[in-house]
Amino acid sequence: MTAAGLKLGRQAFGDDQALMMAIVNRTPDSFFDKGATWAEDAAFARVAEVVAQGAEIVDIGGIKAAPGVEISAAEERARVVDFVARVREAWPDLVISVDTWRAEVGAAVCAAGADVLNDAWGGADPELVDVAAQYDAAIVCTHTGGVTPRTRPYRIEYDEPGGVVAAAIADTVAYAERALAAGVARESIVIDPAHDFGKNTFHSLELTRRLGEMVATGWPVLVSLSNKDFVGETLGLDVGERLVGTLAATAVCALAGARIYRVHQVVETRQTVDMVWSIAGRRPPLRAIRGLQ
Amino acid sequence: MSTPVALVPGVLALLPAYASIEDPVAELRAACLSAVAALGPRVRVRASGPSPARVAASLVAAAGAELVEDEAASGLLVVGNGSAKRSERAPGHLDPRAEDFDAGLRRTFAGIDQGLAAELWADTACLPGLPPLAEGAVIYDGAPFGVQYWVALWDAP
Repeated sequence: MTAAGLKLGRQAFGDDQALMMAIVNRTPDSFFDKGATWAEDAAFARVAEVVAQGAEIVDIGGIKAAPGVEISAAEERARVVDFVARVREAWPDLVISVDTWRAEVGAAVCAAGADVLNDAWGGADPELVDVAAQYDAAIVCTHTGGVTPRTRPYRIEYDEPGGVVAAAIADTVAYAERALAAGVARESIVIDPAHDFGKNTFHSLELTRRLGEMVATGWPVLVSLSNKDFVGETLGLDVGERLVGTLAATAVCALAGARIYRVHQVVETRQTVDMVWSIAGRRPPLRAIRGLQ
Repeated sequence: MSTPVALVPGVLALLPAYASIEDPVAELRAACLSAVAALGPRVRVRASGPSPARVAASLVAAAGAELVEDEAASGLLVVGNGSAKRSERAPGHLDPRAEDFDAGLRRTFAGIDQGLAAELWADTACLPGLPPLAEGAVIYDGAPFGVQYWVALWDAP
């Protein structure tokens, strides 16, 4: 397939644009912020902050990825649906993504104004694509190796050395084609190798190193690297100390051509991606005069 | 038959290949384009070397005019500028002689000391013979990056 722009609900973006998707947790227990935006007003303030920092997309989540207390669909809806409506009212043009794997939650947030369904769990609920199609929303198709939502990887291996890349490509492309068949617009389908999901650190490093192979599928690629364990294990650093490692991985993915960056730190990631985008010749310098006077 | 003559500096930042997101020479570029636009559809260029000639060619193209080498041109575009040593942040750093040198050019292009011009990184080889930078002819006069630029347009007498 050929690139034809990116349409995320009410907004369209050119193929030369790299987009920041800022994480906004409506959870009491997510690994990085540890509940800092659990209160709705705190989450709303976080949206205001990342919008001011230039994020094009917010990714609102009501359930942390790691194992923990079971959150029912009703509870998940209570955490995110009214909040999506409030954000939509305050920022009519902002792209709102919701991190959910449940179709019934997806339908409720789309009705409340969401543009993107970010299915971090690789199609665990097969009806999510139908919801995206029904609401003309975008969908993020991730690779998890088929694990159950909210489980940690345990002794997962892929067929051969390097097989994680082949598996990530095969599964995300199959998911993308399923979304397309369900009626989601081609330009509204994004793939994500899902670092750390169903993967050990060696897998996530290899996916980073070979991200260009995912980009070569032609589907726009989202990467979610921010402060993850593969960075922590690689450098021996705790959660609050992983920014530099995250940005190094970000730079490698940017050079390969990843289009969307799901992040905690918008400003630092934007600088990193802009710099790499310019090195790659996809973005002019902001203002170059040295030697050209 | 007399034709209009314009003077522009050979600033590489004017080239499309060196375009930034924010144009660092927006005001200068606008002045250059307005001067070149007054030269008519067939413009002859006088420049001291390949890189100023490239700047001139790109301005002519941007003005929608054609580059010609014959005497039947509708206008003449001359490329040149003053010293590149006008400030501590200038490409050639500050030379205390630069300001007076440029003031001299500002009065007349006759009798230029080309040896001093070379020391001051001034591009003056093509300037002799141009009319003075009189009021009314000067569209731009500044040294925003420590290099003295003039954009001027002299209508046909």
